[in-house]
Amino acid sequence: MKLKDYLSPFYVWKRAFDKPFTTRKPLEDRPGAPRYRGFHQNDMEKCIGCGSCEVICQNAAIDLVPVDGIETTRKDSGLRPKIDYGRCCWCALCVDICTTGSLKMSNEYIWIDSDPEVFRFVPGASEKPWKNTEAGYSQHENYTLLNLDRIDMPMLTPEDSRKSFIETVKGYSKEEAMKEAQRCVECGLCVATCPAHMDIPDYIRAIRDDNLDEALRLLYDTNPMPATCGRICTHLCEDVCSIGVKGEPLAIRWLKRYIVDQIDDTRFKAILRDEFKPNGKKVAIIGAGPGGLSAAYYLVTAGYSVTIYEASDLAGGMIRYGVPEYRMPYDQLDQDINYIKELGVEIILNNRIGKDTLFSDLYNNYDALFFSTGLNDPYKMAIDGESLPGVFSGLQILDDVTKGIKPDIGKSVAVIGGGNVAMDAARTALRLGAESTLIYRRREEDMPADTEEIHEAHAEKVKFITQAIPLRIEKTANGKLKFIWNNAEMVAKEGAARPSPIAIEGDIQSLEVDAVISAIGQGADYSFLPPEYESKIKFKRGKVIINENCQTTVPKIFAGGDIANPTADAISAIADGHNAAKGIDKFLNKK
Amino acid sequence: MQEILNKLIDRYAIEPIQENRHNQAFVTIEKNRLPDVLTWLRDYEDYTHLAFITAVDYPEIEKIQLTYMLHNYILHTDLGLRVLLDRTRPEMVSIHHLWKQVATYQRELREMFGIDFPGSPGLQENFALEGWKDIPPMRRDFDTKEYSEKTYFPRPGRQTHDPKEYMKEKLYPSAKEDK
Repeated sequence: MKLKDYLSPFYVWKRAFDKPFTTRKPLEDRPGAPRYRGFHQNDMEKCIGCGSCEVICQNAAIDLVPVDGIETTRKDSGLRPKIDYGRCCWCALCVDICTTGSLKMSNEYIWIDSDPEVFRFVPGASEKPWKNTEAGYSQHENYTLLNLDRIDMPMLTPEDSRKSFIETVKGYSKEEAMKEAQRCVECGLCVATCPAHMDIPDYIRAIRDDNLDEALRLLYDTNPMPATCGRICTHLCEDVCSIGVKGEPLAIRWLKRYIVDQIDDTRFKAILRDEFKPNGKKVAIIGAGPGGLSAAYYLVTAGYSVTIYEASDLAGGMIRYGVPEYRMPYDQLDQDINYIKELGVEIILNNRIGKDTLFSDLYNNYDALFFSTGLNDPYKMAIDGESLPGVFSGLQILDDVTKGIKPDIGKSVAVIGGGNVAMDAARTALRLGAESTLIYRRREEDMPADTEEIHEAHAEKVKFITQAIPLRIEKTANGKLKFIWNNAEMVAKEGAARPSPIAIEGDIQSLEVDAVISAIGQGADYSFLPPEYESKIKFKRGKVIINENCQTTVPKIFAGGDIANPTADAISAIADGHNAAKGIDKFLNKK
Repeated sequence: MQEILNKLIDRYAIEPIQENRHNQAFVTIEKNRLPDVLTWLRDYEDYTHLAFITAVDYPEIEKIQLTYMLHNYILHTDLGLRVLLDRTRPEMVSIHHLWKQVATYQRELREMFGIDFPGSPGLQENFALEGWKDIPPMRRDFDTKEYSEKTYFPRPGRQTHDPKEYMKEKLYPSAKEDK
């Protein structure tokens, strides 16, 4: 041993009073890094229960469970993720895929308990020390696993579209449709909102798999008018699409159209394999609109002999006579109708019930009746001058144009109203060579028309005048019409859902035009019903009361469509037709 | 950055080049030239630091891509060298003679991607997956979820709900029996 070996232990004392490099015990606070992936947090209000976290979890650590106090609504499944920390590997894919950004991870990482069951928990549902911790892992603002931008739909330019009745929306190519379909997370939140409860995620998946035959079968399971709905559906599904929370919702309507666009209609029968044995029972349908056609399809495929009575000279109802060709080309509507006819449904045209055929004859000669006659009686504005020549209803204009009659609207029109019929009338007037001005009593955001319709009307240079209460129409000395209105201010009333327009005293304006088109809504015409039936069928506010099987208070009579449901759109009518068919089948097989 | 890229093009006729930032670029080279290029970059161009080696599996083109990330401490620039390996028999020249620690990276890549580096010390030793018998877990055709479900039994009492079915039950139960 050397002397140094004896002395060296004492050198340590040299640092005896220095600040130590080690951490002093007991440990106090050792926070995780700012983006540490610790225990989960979930904003229960923001979460919509889409379940994308469950699907992406590679450890099958997440279940979706109902949680007290969370209601199921159209936009929220009411379910919330429950995480099993015995399986979680803290990869944070669940946070990255979250469609709302509600799921996050705090930077807390210490949780001690002797009961293993507590480590399965619903983040956000119970009080945890990390519930409101700011630091931790959340989605990066410039990076997302979701495709939030919709694939652009090729469209005619507004300058071109306003010149003719050529279809404005061109439709997706295969590549575009498959790309758009890729964006779907298959949560299925949309299915509940669709009036027909179409299998939306399933047919989008079929597009992604390029299995269009299967996609078509899925469409016809719940909707026998896909070419129509692929164009003019009100697409309530898109309003609740989970991708729409942070980005643009899936173009569900256009994907549906893509399926039908791609398949030659001569192949429909082979693909759909609609086989049925006639059961010897007969059903009569009044009205060949979407409700009647849908009921006919599901009845005929269930074995019934179906006859539709239609007052007009062609089938299609409001889809044909109320929707302009640039939105709904007639050959596409015919494709939907032809397939239903091909299955053996008889459509008797130009036959108005109550005039050409008696309602009671139908009632006595058929096993069941379904009527879906629609709303085709335009409301009156109830102002002076409404009966002057040059004042038309929106429906009249659209009906004329469908029939090839050019209405005499001159070079300028004022369209009164803010619904889809008003937009259609205004844009049709443009195509007939007139300048269109739309006049509506409330604000633009209050308009019941579809957002795209309003947007396209603007793009095509329809002028908008809002907060204008119609007063009267006068004939001017030079043979024109003077539409006079009172400017209004929006006043919020207590208890009212939306503010009402109140006339500003003395603020009266006018516009000189060649024609005034009134499109402020329409009501039902029940003149085909003889009094003895009308008295037995119950109505409420002009609408027929039906049960969940679309059955009226007269057991043998079923009804649906705009005359019965509150949404009054094509897809709801189609859903009613389907329900009525199921209801009639139930009713006739019970006997 | 541009200077070194120009040199690379001149010297090795390398293309294509992907420049991500002003101080970061990636080049793809033929796999047998890698030791040569790495040696030159390390010994003559001050890319002395090998930050990491990583791999990406591309079953759709039947390739596995390796990326060697170098750092230059003088210029503070990053240069990534990429090579593509045949996916059916992925084999790469070992470069443990250039950086001793590379042997560990290569051991990990062998285990996670099934890439062979002949001559690399301790290559067959376990890195993290003791007793692994399945296909290498970082291969894209390895189904993590399936493995997880097979290997780790579910805790009793777990139950999940499908949003679509649950909403039907809650919002429109009447349609349930008919469809």
